[in-house]
Amino acid sequence: MSDEETVAFLAAAPLLAGLDRGYLAELARAMRERTVQEGELLWRQGDTAREMVFVVEGGVSVSQHLPGDRAVQMAEAGPGDTLGEIALLDGGENTMSARVTETARLLALGRADFTALVARQHPSAFTLRRRLVALTTARLRDRLLRLSDSLVGDASGRPAEDVARPVADLEYCGAPDSKYVRRMATFHEFDPLALWGFLTAGRYALCPAGRRLVAEGAPSAACYLTINGAVEKVLVRGDRRIRVALAGPGRAFGYENLIDGDGSPFTAISRERALLLVLPREQFERLFHGEDAGSRVFLDVIQRDLATSLRQTLRPHAHLAASV
Amino acid sequence: MCRVLAYLGRPLPVRTLLFDPDNSLVRQSYSPRMMNTFLNLAGFGMQAWDPESLRPEDPFTYRVTTLPSFDRNLRSLSSKLAPTCLIAHVRGVTYSDEAVVADTNLHPFRFAGARVVLAHNGHLRQFPSMRYSLVEHVRPELVRHIEGTTDSEWIYALILSLLDDPYGLPEKRELADATANALRILRKVRATHGIDTSSPVNLCVGTGRAIVATRFSFDYGWYPPEDEMLETDLPFVSLWYTIGGAFAESEGDWQMTASDPPRSAIIASEPLTADTSAWFEVPEYSMLTAELTPDGLEFETLDLDV
Repeated sequence: MSDEETVAFLAAAPLLAGLDRGYLAELARAMRERTVQEGELLWRQGDTAREMVFVVEGGVSVSQHLPGDRAVQMAEAGPGDTLGEIALLDGGENTMSARVTETARLLALGRADFTALVARQHPSAFTLRRRLVALTTARLRDRLLRLSDSLVGDASGRPAEDVARPVADLEYCGAPDSKYVRRMATFHEFDPLALWGFLTAGRYALCPAGRRLVAEGAPSAACYLTINGAVEKVLVRGDRRIRVALAGPGRAFGYENLIDGDGSPFTAISRERALLLVLPREQFERLFHGEDAGSRVFLDVIQRDLATSLRQTLRPHAHLAASV
Repeated sequence: MCRVLAYLGRPLPVRTLLFDPDNSLVRQSYSPRMMNTFLNLAGFGMQAWDPESLRPEDPFTYRVTTLPSFDRNLRSLSSKLAPTCLIAHVRGVTYSDEAVVADTNLHPFRFAGARVVLAHNGHLRQFPSMRYSLVEHVRPELVRHIEGTTDSEWIYALILSLLDDPYGLPEKRELADATANALRILRKVRATHGIDTSSPVNLCVGTGRAIVATRFSFDYGWYPPEDEMLETDLPFVSLWYTIGGAFAESEGDWQMTASDPPRSAIIASEPLTADTSAWFEVPEYSMLTAELTPDGLEFETLDLDV
């Protein structure tokens, strides 16, 4: 493909549609085109993530290995689809294996180039981050739906009392010790000023254990970040409460509905007493759509949290967790 | 902070757990993949039950403060010993002159004559201030066996005290109940002393026939100011397991073979292989129980609400 053809292809890809042509041209220059024969493995589950790919032609199957030498197909990708971007977001390992099912022409973007492109202050970089967040949110919802569907026998619906407490009922308090916050892994990479911008965007609240903060299927009143303590993200089906993730220090919850407008994909209940940074809808919108240093910190926190949530919902054991 | 390992199932050479896989327990002593800031250099210990040995009800005991990676005796023994149950531990302590590296602090703990052993990955913050409040919950004949300075040995004594017979062979259910009740007592004693900071308690308790393991923390997510252990404790302390027929090498990869019903299980702070796809992460705040039966292995995951 010529550079022009590559830019035209990228401009039509759903992830990049509408982005600045100059930004796409830079992206095109960083891309490497290659053809992979049917049956070849692009990467193996558990390998360190090295690249994301755009499928130009052909097909790729994505599968998850399970204990006992079993595998389950999770998705198929065709022209215009992207693969591998989630593992690049959190710098972790590939969560699934990808194998070419129909000889494929691919455009590959290496980890370093990907990181540099999304880290820039360019407006298109912020747009790309928001698109990635939306894409990952959609994938998270899809995984949770699969998980929910697999709960056979007792999936008798959510209980009527599955209603979250309004944010006004929270016990608001002062900010935590900044030395503690800076030691949290979530914030290591940010300069103090950018971090300050983010940490002062909302209010802090203490919450006792056992409080329902977000209800599955309902709008979320705020986005929350756990500073101390822990909050469970659960699916409630009949008498069963199935934990799909635990939001400990540095983890967020309640943001999915604020991103895409659909109901919250799970219920959030404080497992331990918790100190939370509360970002009501207005503050969330300002940070999410902003293009300053505080927004960069925020988008990064949400991206990483989504990537971690996806990994946690992939735990083969998630559907059995904490339910007996 | 320590790393712990438990095995229950078909006879298995110890070296396949301690040395052979690419993230074996001994490797986790100097290169743990899932733990920040601390190495586990303060000693090694194991208790192994071999049904073909003399007095098979008594485990083979090996505990040394030297580094297991350089221990030729351990490597040699590991090739000869094929137990049906093993609990092993590499100990990590803070880099402080307050830490005591000594034989008496090595896991797994086993009082003379007892059939139950215990290894612990975690720590009870402010333990010195609560230690003596535990005396009233531990049987007097057991208190006198406590030789070391660790919180773990007290947890062991507490669990033994909650069994009908501290020197008997409890079944899985009694062992699980005693472990959960010990955590309840610890919670009460912590409250009495106003202790409300994160204290991970990942336990492996075993008898040779049954194993109970916990992935648990008191007050997870709360830390004292200027905490030396903060970076280690911010993530919930890990615990994983794999279950199936036999842990075996195939084309260079170590993994559990498929089997229904299962016949073997490994529980470990970290998967023993860099490829984690054949392992399950134990849910936070939960307990695993496993017991050998004539048909194979009974295995359960339970919510630990204490």
